[in-house]
Amino acid sequence: MDVKQLCEVALKAGEILLVSGAEIYRVEDTVTRICRSYNVEADCFVMPTGIFITVFGSNREPISVVRRVKARTVDLSRIEKVNSFSRSLIINPVTYEEAVKTLNGIRRTKRYHFLLRLFAAGITAFSFTILFKGNERDALAAFLISMFIYFVNEKISQTGMFYFFEFFISGVIAGMGSLLAVRLFPGLNLYRIIIGAIMILVPGVAITNAIKDALNGDIASSTFRMAEAIFIAAAVGAGVSIALYVGFNNL
Amino acid sequence: MKELIFSFVGSFSAGIIFNVAAKKLIWIGFSGAIGWIVYSLLYSSAGSLIFSTFAGAIAVGIYSESMARLVKSPSTIFSIPGIFPLVPGITAYTTVQYMVENNLSGAASKAVETAASAGAIAFGIMIIYGLFRLVHKINSRRKKSINYPK
Repeated sequence: MDVKQLCEVALKAGEILLVSGAEIYRVEDTVTRICRSYNVEADCFVMPTGIFITVFGSNREPISVVRRVKARTVDLSRIEKVNSFSRSLIINPVTYEEAVKTLNGIRRTKRYHFLLRLFAAGITAFSFTILFKGNERDALAAFLISMFIYFVNEKISQTGMFYFFEFFISGVIAGMGSLLAVRLFPGLNLYRIIIGAIMILVPGVAITNAIKDALNGDIASSTFRMAEAIFIAAAVGAGVSIALYVGFNNL
Repeated sequence: MKELIFSFVGSFSAGIIFNVAAKKLIWIGFSGAIGWIVYSLLYSSAGSLIFSTFAGAIAVGIYSESMARLVKSPSTIFSIPGIFPLVPGITAYTTVQYMVENNLSGAASKAVETAASAGAIAFGIMIIYGLFRLVHKINSRRKKSINYPK
């Protein structure tokens, strides 16, 4: 594998990690580790929106590559696969073709079936409504609303609207759905249904990861992720509030 | 007991959404249950939200780092769904909700609470991560073998 090909492989691995929501230090670690496995010195700078790699060729000629990264999801199984792939290179440095084939395979890793994820979203909402001291009827309402939110969220992200729009609409649905449930079945607790239903949306993990990045010294990415989390919380909160405001005045 | 089951199920299904491989889902359920039990026991006895969250994160951290070594996968796989019941997502939402209701002092206190518990969780996880790395480094230096830490 020559240096340019190595660059491509390292970039590909880093991109998969970043898109799957890995921490910054893990992306930087993996990229440098892959280059080190082929005895090439590499410097790597990763932002949540892009990767910059510079490697030095045989005659000390530097090569730089930049990759802009747009999509950001959480996919722990891809992180795990890239991680073990990069570790396996230390013992067994494979050829360029093999490495690209493995990485493309990892990139195409299937998610769980949509219906199963839909059900999982519902179950998550159900469990957390109970954990937040709601009763079984509240939990059932949250279960249904959350499944509907997940369904709409998936459809909107396929159409490719702007990023925060999904969260806003989901918030509106959560507010409307909970109001409807409370009107239809008096005795339900509005607040507990809402917080159960939006559990899959709210950026708790994002805030925590932002602070984890900061503790690692990646202040720039930490600030970025914190801002993202705040905007998500604001979008969801605004959606719910608008739904409640309109609902209370017109129902 | 009810809380135990639902924190298990909650993390388990969060694991499905985060696309964790099927045979590891069961370990993720335990991760969430351990974190939540430590948190809720301490919270009901000591009453300090931030401290209990911190203790819960420490428990999740110890569990994830040990599982990472047993099952040979990165510890994040276990810690992200594991801290899912503890993270202050709802508090972040409530902050915005209070702002909209023009309850600014409530919003300020919720915002601080969000930052504090997120900080407590991140700090708890990172301390354990650091400790395990340190122990690993000392061990591998003693063995004088090249051994890359997970």
